[in-house]
Amino acid sequence: MEEFRYIPKSELFKCSVDLPGARKFFVWDGVPDGLPLKEAPALDVSASFEVSSRMERMVYPVSLEDVPQKAVEIIPEEGTLTQVISVRVSPSLVFGRVRIVCQKPGNYAVVLCSHTTGQERFSTREIVEVSVSGGARLDLVAMQNENSLSAHKSDFRLKIEEDSSLKMNIITLHAGNVSNRIHSLLSGKKAECWLNGLYLEDGEQIIDTDVTLVHNAPECLSRQLFKGILSGHSRSRFTGEVVVSPAGQKTEAYQANNNLLVSDDARASSDPHLVIYADDVKCSHGSTAGSVGDQELFYMRSRGISESEARILQQQAFAAAVLEQVSREELRERLSCLVERRLRGENTVCAACGRGCC
Amino acid sequence: MENLLEIKNLHARIGDKEILKGINLTIKPGEVHTIMGRNGSGKSTLSAILAGNSNYTVTQGSITYQGRDLLKMSPEERSWAGIFLGFQYPVEIPGVTNVNFMRTAVNEHRKQKGLPPLSAAEYLKLMREKMAYVEMDPSFSSRGVNVGFSGGEKKRNEVFQMAMLSPLLAILDETDSGLDVDALRIVANGVNRLKTKDNAFVVITHYQRLLDYIVPDVVHVLYKGRIVKTAGKELAAEVEAHGYDEFE
Repeated sequence: MEEFRYIPKSELFKCSVDLPGARKFFVWDGVPDGLPLKEAPALDVSASFEVSSRMERMVYPVSLEDVPQKAVEIIPEEGTLTQVISVRVSPSLVFGRVRIVCQKPGNYAVVLCSHTTGQERFSTREIVEVSVSGGARLDLVAMQNENSLSAHKSDFRLKIEEDSSLKMNIITLHAGNVSNRIHSLLSGKKAECWLNGLYLEDGEQIIDTDVTLVHNAPECLSRQLFKGILSGHSRSRFTGEVVVSPAGQKTEAYQANNNLLVSDDARASSDPHLVIYADDVKCSHGSTAGSVGDQELFYMRSRGISESEARILQQQAFAAAVLEQVSREELRERLSCLVERRLRGENTVCAACGRGCC
Repeated sequence: MENLLEIKNLHARIGDKEILKGINLTIKPGEVHTIMGRNGSGKSTLSAILAGNSNYTVTQGSITYQGRDLLKMSPEERSWAGIFLGFQYPVEIPGVTNVNFMRTAVNEHRKQKGLPPLSAAEYLKLMREKMAYVEMDPSFSSRGVNVGFSGGEKKRNEVFQMAMLSPLLAILDETDSGLDVDALRIVANGVNRLKTKDNAFVVITHYQRLLDYIVPDVVHVLYKGRIVKTAGKELAAEVEAHGYDEFE
């Protein structure tokens, strides 16, 4: 009889965003490796307020009903990067919950990676709750790199309290059908929220992004930049709503969604809007969808850059504005490298790894 | 000596509008040609066609470059074969840094010649050397291509790119327009430093003043899509004094 040997699963999967010095946690089909699931109340990010001029109560509800009782709880350490690598292995539906809590002043960084192994039809639902308070500044990167048969529905619930700040970057390198719903509540004075997204699509991929961001306190700042590069028959749909309640005086809120259509059959739809109940605010929103600039292309080719290379340079340039928002340099470089490999049609796995896991 | 470029009876149009109506031009290695002409005479069309801009359609005639049919070559193939166009309006490419842009270009040229790519250190050394030709600050290398550059900086960047690629046939499309005297001198010096017995320049301009710095061997006057007069450098002074009316 063969001797049983325990091999931690984390030995079998190497992440392509391997970051030296990071605290690393693995989650297998929603179950954390060497970390207990914790029971915790659901984070409520719903907002409601009176609009006296309209004699009306506005409600922006978020349902807490089907939030799983237990969560993978991440309490980041100040100054250290925490990496949570979620890997899908078996093709059952997984409904997971991740909770990230920062309550003390300082700089925190978390990267959440979602992967699939093999070519199964994975289906994932998850709720990611992020609570930032007490003057904490959290940098959060969500990297999604899954196979083209996978369906992934994420619900990001973000609550930012007084003098605290959250910067979230969602990088969707590859996936089948993705829905990223983001509900962000700025609930205390001078809270800040940066939301950036980059989605790269080809084939029959569909990526939906749905943002609701509520300013429910004065002097808060929010900036959103979502960019997509679409080829093949892919589709993207962006819906964004920024709400400024009567309490949100001196709000600054900006929202932009830009799409680069690389093929004739790709489609992007974009629906940004602003709802403002305060009178002293600076807000703007906008969206674009366009194809590559012929002049730029000719300029590059006239310098001897081949057409295919010129197109990749243009796409990298388009993506750069989002990647530049990733504050940690080592992470920004790794992500830029993965994006470049993705745009070149290479596997988005680390060159040093060679396991071909995602 | 063998011709570097030979244009025969070239007719071209953009959309329905015929712009070039039978251009004949022969250029040998080591020569500097100037093409002068009014706005709309076809100067920029000619340079765009030489570089391979597909917005223009050649309806008649031929262009032979080093014995090859130039019109069958893609813009990048022309660049690899040694053709360079200094743009009248250099294009801004936000997000692509100057260094990334030029390094990609230089390495594609090397690949075509069967040479390995330059290492980062080798590239930087070459870049600094060539930037000095046009008195360009190395800090420009980390900025987006031409993004936020002044008119003069854009033109210097064109000459810098030319120096990096050492072309055999460089066409400078109104590189002097929008330049003050200092910038003009810097740009012209850059061109003069690159001149050898093997390469040729076509300097397209409205004015004579650039020709105070770059001395042409041959001057052509382009008028309504045809070269109506060809002579030595004295022709430039004549055009400057009398204008283009005498070519009516």
